[in-house]
Amino acid sequence: MRVLVVDPDSARAALVTEGLAGVEPLDVRHCLFFDEAEAADFAPDVVVVAAESPDRDTLDSLKSSNAGALRPVVMFVDRSEPGLAEEAVHAGVAAYVVDGLATGRVRAVLEVAMTRFNLMRQLRTDLDKAKADLASRKTVERAKALIMKERGLDEEAAYRVLRKLSMDSGRPLATVASDFLAFAAVMKGGS
Amino acid sequence: MAEVSRIKLGFVPLNDAAALLVASQLGFFEAEGLDVELRREASWATVRDKLAAGLLDGAHILAPLTLAMTLGLGCEPTPMVAPFALNFGGAAITVAAHLAVSVGAGPGAEGLAALIARRRAEGASPLTFASVFPFSIHNYLLRDWLAGAGIDPDGDVRLTVAAPSRTAELLAGGVIEGFCAGEPWNEVAVMKGVGRVIAHAADIHADTPDKVFATTQAWAKDRPDALAALIRALARASAWSAQAANRSELARILAKDEAIGVDQTVIAASLDGIVFDGPGVNRPDPAQAAWLVGQMKRWNHLAPALDDRSIAAAVYRPDLYDAALKR
Repeated sequence: MRVLVVDPDSARAALVTEGLAGVEPLDVRHCLFFDEAEAADFAPDVVVVAAESPDRDTLDSLKSSNAGALRPVVMFVDRSEPGLAEEAVHAGVAAYVVDGLATGRVRAVLEVAMTRFNLMRQLRTDLDKAKADLASRKTVERAKALIMKERGLDEEAAYRVLRKLSMDSGRPLATVASDFLAFAAVMKGGS
Repeated sequence: MAEVSRIKLGFVPLNDAAALLVASQLGFFEAEGLDVELRREASWATVRDKLAAGLLDGAHILAPLTLAMTLGLGCEPTPMVAPFALNFGGAAITVAAHLAVSVGAGPGAEGLAALIARRRAEGASPLTFASVFPFSIHNYLLRDWLAGAGIDPDGDVRLTVAAPSRTAELLAGGVIEGFCAGEPWNEVAVMKGVGRVIAHAADIHADTPDKVFATTQAWAKDRPDALAALIRALARASAWSAQAANRSELARILAKDEAIGVDQTVIAASLDGIVFDGPGVNRPDPAQAAWLVGQMKRWNHLAPALDDRSIAAAVYRPDLYDAALKR
């Protein structure tokens, strides 16, 4: 497991190393401040950052700007702020926030964070795909309806027209349907 | 009637948190019957998360971040209201001292454009510039400033995010070659001899809206009396901060360790470009929010189809300001 600990205080890195004793192979790197180039070079499985670290904004911005560099981030809250961990994770507002840091909990916490991160990433990918599928199905339906109306065909025949266009041009059905609708809109606009 | 429960307000160490710090120091919150605890936060992401989780009741926050939170950009959607605008201006662009000669006196980025072209011809690595958060006026001003000289912010330079308090150190270490952030952090870089201010916010866009005081929409609905009292205390503190006679006392309040924690002389030297009070400064005008939405669209943070006015009107709430101040 490769762990990057971003913390002005070196005590936390020592705690993390101690808590992960027995994990093989293990590479815990401690840096006082987050350095994007260094992080990319190290390629950690998980990043541990103090919630009070000013570098949180840098890490947070990677979420939107650089999907390739995305890593699960575990944030440890030092000050006693009951509720932040649960509330934030529940609301999905923070990557992962955990109250306190005890040697005995380190391993479980990091493993849960990584599992959850991968799960969330999978869910997001699935959701994006589902959305895209739904959108293309709608486009095909609309194109089909238009062909039925314009040419007086039944549903199956209209579908065959689209499928033939798709096969002849070697392009996906949804793309052909989308072009067809755009073309129809232009013709309509011109009349 | 006075609200009794303690109110927790967050701020990030910057000059434009003055209204909160002054109201707390000079007893303006107490005078409104409020029990307010200020919490210094290290990052905007933490301010955002704590507002959303209800661990902060309100905060000094980047105006575009309130819009991003409401729209669910970079986080789960949390409807926000901004009933009080804290300042115009007060941000600046600083370049590394070792580049100061090559980039020229400013305020334009033409010298930088020439330097970038020369470096490209030499095969040198792209220069790195930092702003304080993706959804910040600092990011948009920096991009606008670069684009104004024909520099592509997404291709000709590398843009990154850094906390304002870290910028001087990053400049000194050669991690970044320039940054756009609120004061006093430009002045800190100048005083340390690692940077030079090349442009102020007002050089790029007049009356740039910067920070607001914001709460979640839910909190505003739940605690209307407390919110009105907060607005009155902040208005009083803003008017106080704007007076020239109070300048050195203001610098002293901001310099404290629990406030910004930067030397008083540095703070005093960095207060010139900021407008705390005056016509149209504190009343949150939805037109300003719509302008911010326009910036967010320009730099692909938002889809062009989004209705500027409805989101602007949902977040920027002059009605709450007017009701609190009976205007």
